[in-house]
Amino acid sequence: MDPTLVWLTILALAATTFITRLSFMGLLAHVELPPLLQRALAYVPPAILAAIIAPQVFPVVQELPTLDWPRLIAALIAFAVAFRTRSTLATVCVGMLVLWGLQAV
Amino acid sequence: MATPHLPLPPRLAFVAGANASLPLLMAIIPFGVVCGASAASIGLSFGQAWALSWLVFAGSSQIVATQLMASGAPAWVTVLTGWVVNLRFMMYSATLAPHFRQRSRPGRWLAAYLLTDQAFAVTLARIVEGREARETAWFYLGLALSTWLFWQVASIAGIMLGSFIPARWSMDFIVALTFIALLVPLLNNRPMRGAALVGGMVALAPQLPFRLNLISAALAGAAIAMLLEKIWTRPSSG
Repeated sequence: MDPTLVWLTILALAATTFITRLSFMGLLAHVELPPLLQRALAYVPPAILAAIIAPQVFPVVQELPTLDWPRLIAALIAFAVAFRTRSTLATVCVGMLVLWGLQAV
Repeated sequence: MATPHLPLPPRLAFVAGANASLPLLMAIIPFGVVCGASAASIGLSFGQAWALSWLVFAGSSQIVATQLMASGAPAWVTVLTGWVVNLRFMMYSATLAPHFRQRSRPGRWLAAYLLTDQAFAVTLARIVEGREARETAWFYLGLALSTWLFWQVASIAGIMLGSFIPARWSMDFIVALTFIALLVPLLNNRPMRGAALVGGMVALAPQLPFRLNLISAALAGAAIAMLLEKIWTRPSSG
């Protein structure tokens, strides 16, 4: 990767992120966020998180998602652990141990 | 009605905020390590990887940007996608704004720079208790600064670890597991679950040009959730 391009990407992401954070606290201090937009924004995080998880669980090979049993089983168990414990550390540790265990079989 | 509280002086409110960050560390530290490690694992220099953690300072978008850079996506797609992941900060900013109206401009800019999911959630709980605006601002500052500090330490540890981890350990899967831990608490109603389901499915659809799948997933997920909200909340309220 071209270092200049990487730096420009990082700086542009930093600037847009900061402006988003500052939006109503600084730049638009006397503007109200429309309720419709406010509710729509609440739904972006679950959609994005799931969109990042899905290709890790069903690896995309030549444009098509594939079934990778160790990853699928590890992810399902990790979901259960996350529901029960609400702990990032427990979810990551159990998920990785299950994945390594199944890959070793 | 909220119980009236005697407002804490700034210093005590700041300390109370810093203390309130401690229970969050079990989530912040592993996530910071994972973000640092994945930035290092795609071959970013120490300076670049750390710049992501202190200039961008938003874990999910750092991971997204890292993955897109590694996949060779155009720079504008990386920036646009990372920004869409961070759009939720606009909602947080709007919610916190009334409590920072009396603060100086540098104070508000610092507060904005330090805004995270965790700092927002804990401060919101405090606002709901009916705390005074000045106290809320100092509480937030203690909480957010402490969160920032631990995030940087965790990121640096992750960056140093990341370049040593062999590929056969499937460390990329750690990112998926970390995100499962972030996703599960959000799935508390049907529109949120619908957004997640649609987002996941769109991400698996045949690759869109310029790797625009993530942005499409976000937009489709939010749109479906708004629709589901309409279908499911109307009959019960009407």
